[in-house]
Amino acid sequence: MTVVMIGNPNVGKSLVLNRLTGSNFIVSNYAGTSLEVSEATINLPNRKIRIIDTPGIYSIFSIGQDQQIIKDILEQEKPELILNVLDASNLERNLMLSFELKQLGIPMIVLLNQIDRARRIGLEIQRERLEKILGAPVLFFSAVAGEGLMELMQMLQLDSLQLNRPSSIEPYLEYENCQECSLQCTGCTGCSIGSESCLGSDDFRRAEIARYTAQLVLHRQSKVQRYWIDKAEKVLDQPILGTIILLIFVFLSFFLLLKFIELSEGPISAILNPVNIFIENFLASLLPDGMINNILSKAIPEGLIIPFTIIMPAMLMVSFLMSVLEDTGILPRYSVALERVGRLFGVSGQAVIPLSLGFGCRTPAILATRLMPTMAERFIVITILSIVIPCAATIGVMAAVITAFDASLLVLLTTMLAVLVILGFLLSRSMPREEVFVYELPPLRIPDWGNVWKKVRMRFAGFFSEVLPLLLVMNIIIRGLMESGFFELFYTMEGFTRSIFGIPSDAFVAVLVTMFQRYLAPLVLLNASLTPREATIAISMISLSLPCLPVMVMTVREIGAKGLVKILALGFITSFVVGATLNLILPG
Amino acid sequence: MYLKDMKTGQSGVVVGIKKGHASERRLFEIGLVPGARVEVLSRHPFKGPLLLQVGNCRLALGQGIATMVEVELIPG
Repeated sequence: MTVVMIGNPNVGKSLVLNRLTGSNFIVSNYAGTSLEVSEATINLPNRKIRIIDTPGIYSIFSIGQDQQIIKDILEQEKPELILNVLDASNLERNLMLSFELKQLGIPMIVLLNQIDRARRIGLEIQRERLEKILGAPVLFFSAVAGEGLMELMQMLQLDSLQLNRPSSIEPYLEYENCQECSLQCTGCTGCSIGSESCLGSDDFRRAEIARYTAQLVLHRQSKVQRYWIDKAEKVLDQPILGTIILLIFVFLSFFLLLKFIELSEGPISAILNPVNIFIENFLASLLPDGMINNILSKAIPEGLIIPFTIIMPAMLMVSFLMSVLEDTGILPRYSVALERVGRLFGVSGQAVIPLSLGFGCRTPAILATRLMPTMAERFIVITILSIVIPCAATIGVMAAVITAFDASLLVLLTTMLAVLVILGFLLSRSMPREEVFVYELPPLRIPDWGNVWKKVRMRFAGFFSEVLPLLLVMNIIIRGLMESGFFELFYTMEGFTRSIFGIPSDAFVAVLVTMFQRYLAPLVLLNASLTPREATIAISMISLSLPCLPVMVMTVREIGAKGLVKILALGFITSFVVGATLNLILPG
Repeated sequence: MYLKDMKTGQSGVVVGIKKGHASERRLFEIGLVPGARVEVLSRHPFKGPLLLQVGNCRLALGQGIATMVEVELIPG
C-alpha cells in the first residue's frame, strides 16, 4: 500500500515519518526543512506500507514547485491513503488544507500532531466532532512523545476504504455566514496576474468552513501554562532588544568558532605528528628512490594531516552551531531581524536561511534557496552563496593561511563584506523584483540534543566521504606538478601577476587551482613563500571566487546550466577585480 | 485601514486582500483570510517587518506586503 503524507510546513511531517518507520530523516524547527520528497517503508503483520513524505504546502491548488511535486505523486503513485499531518495548535489554518484534500476523494487519516504543545497552551480539541465533520478518522499524535503511534499502526492495517465517510460539515454550517459573495474573484478580467494565483469562491468557502470547524471543535481553557521558553520567545521577538540579542549570538558563535579552531590545532597536530612521520618514513623506505617516492612520501601524509588539523575543527564547530540554530527555531528569527538588510540586496528576509546554511556547507544551502519567493531572488541568493559565503571547510583554510603568513583578517573580512554589498546591489538593480516577505515563525524550542548530535554527524560525514579523499588525491597531483617542474612554466607570468595582482606567479597558480575547490588552498599556498600582503591578496582572491564542484552540480540541477555559466563568469570577474583592487589599495 | 497602519498591540479582523498582486494567494494560504483575527505583536523600526499573531501562529510580514491586507480594527 502507498501512503502519502501531506501537511503545512513545519508541522512535523518528517518526524512523524521517522517515528513510524524508524528512519533518520533530517528534522529542524523551521518551515521548509524538507524540500524534497523522501520515502520509507514499514512492514506491518499483514502488509507492507510505503510512506512518501512531501514538502510542506499550504494549499494543493496553488501553483508552485512543491505543489507540482505533490500533484505528480498523486497522479503517478496513485496513493491509497493520505496521511494529513496537522499542527494541533493551528487548526484554523491547517484545516483549510484538510478540506482541500478531502475533495480529492482519496481515503485520509488526520493526525493532530504536536498535540502536547496544543494542550500546553490550553487548547482542548473535540476529536469525535472533528471526525464527524471531516468524515475521516482523527488521531491525537505526538511524534516527539510517541502518543497515538499504536493507534495509527492499527489503523494502517485496516482497509483504507472503510476509514472514510463523506464530510458532514453542512449540518453545522450556516451559509449566510459566508462572506464569499462580496469577496470572490471577478473572473480575473481585471487582474494583471494569472488566474492560478487569483482566489476563487471555492477558496473562500474552504477558509470559511475551516474557521467554522475550528470554532466548533476547539475549547480554550482559561489556564495556560507559561514556561520560561515562552518568555524567552517574547524577549527574542522584540524588535530592538531581540535584534541586539541575535547579533550577540552571531558574535559569540564566531568567537567560539575561532577559539575552537585555535585551541584544537595544537593537540591535534601533537597527536598526528608521530603518525605523519611514521607514514612518511614508511613510504620513503617502501618505494624505490626517485620522483614517485618524493611525491608520495610527502603528499600522502600531508594530504591526511592538513584536513584533520585545518578543516576538521571548523567543520565540527560549524555543524554544531548550525544544528542548534535550526533546532531551537532561532534561525528564522534572523530572517525577520535582517529583513531590512536583505532588502538592500534585493532579497527578502528568507534569504538568511540559505545564506547561513551556506556557512556549514553550500551544497544543501543551494537546495534551501527554494524558500525564496521568486526566481530572480533565487538567482541572487545562489550567486552570493557561490561567490561570497565561505563554507566551514573554507573557514578552516582561511584561518590556517592567515596564521601561516600573518595575513590580515581585517582586510579579508572587509573585502568579503564589500563584495557582498556591491554584488548584491548590482544584482538586485539588474533584475525585476517584487519584495515579498511572508514567513511563519516557529515557536522556540529547547534543542533535542539527540537530534543535534545526529545532524552534526550527518554534516560531518562529508569530511570523510569528500574532503579527505579529495584532498589526498589533489595533494598527490599538486605535489606531482610541483616536483615535475610544471609550475615553473608559469614563472614567465611573474611580471604580469606581480604588476596586476601584486602576487608572485606561484600564488597566482594557487589561486587558479583552488578557485574550484577552496579548501585545496593551503596545499598549494602553504608551500609558497609569501609576504603578509601577498598572502592577504591571494587568500582574498580565493575566498571570493567560484562555487566548488558539488555546488556547481547542484546549481545546474536547481536553476539550469545557463544560470551556472552566469555565476561562473561573475565569480572569475569578482576574483580578479578583488585581486587588482587590493593591489592598488593595500600599502606595499 | 491596512495592516501596515496598525500599531503594536492593536488587534483587527482581516476584511480582504488587495487584488492584483501575485502574493494574494500566499497571504491567504498562510492564514490571512477574511475573518481571521490578527494582533500586531511588534513592528521593526526603519520600515522593517511586522510580527503578527494569527491564531496560535506567528507570522512575519514585510512592509510592502502588509499594505495588501485590509483590516478592521477591534476597539479596546
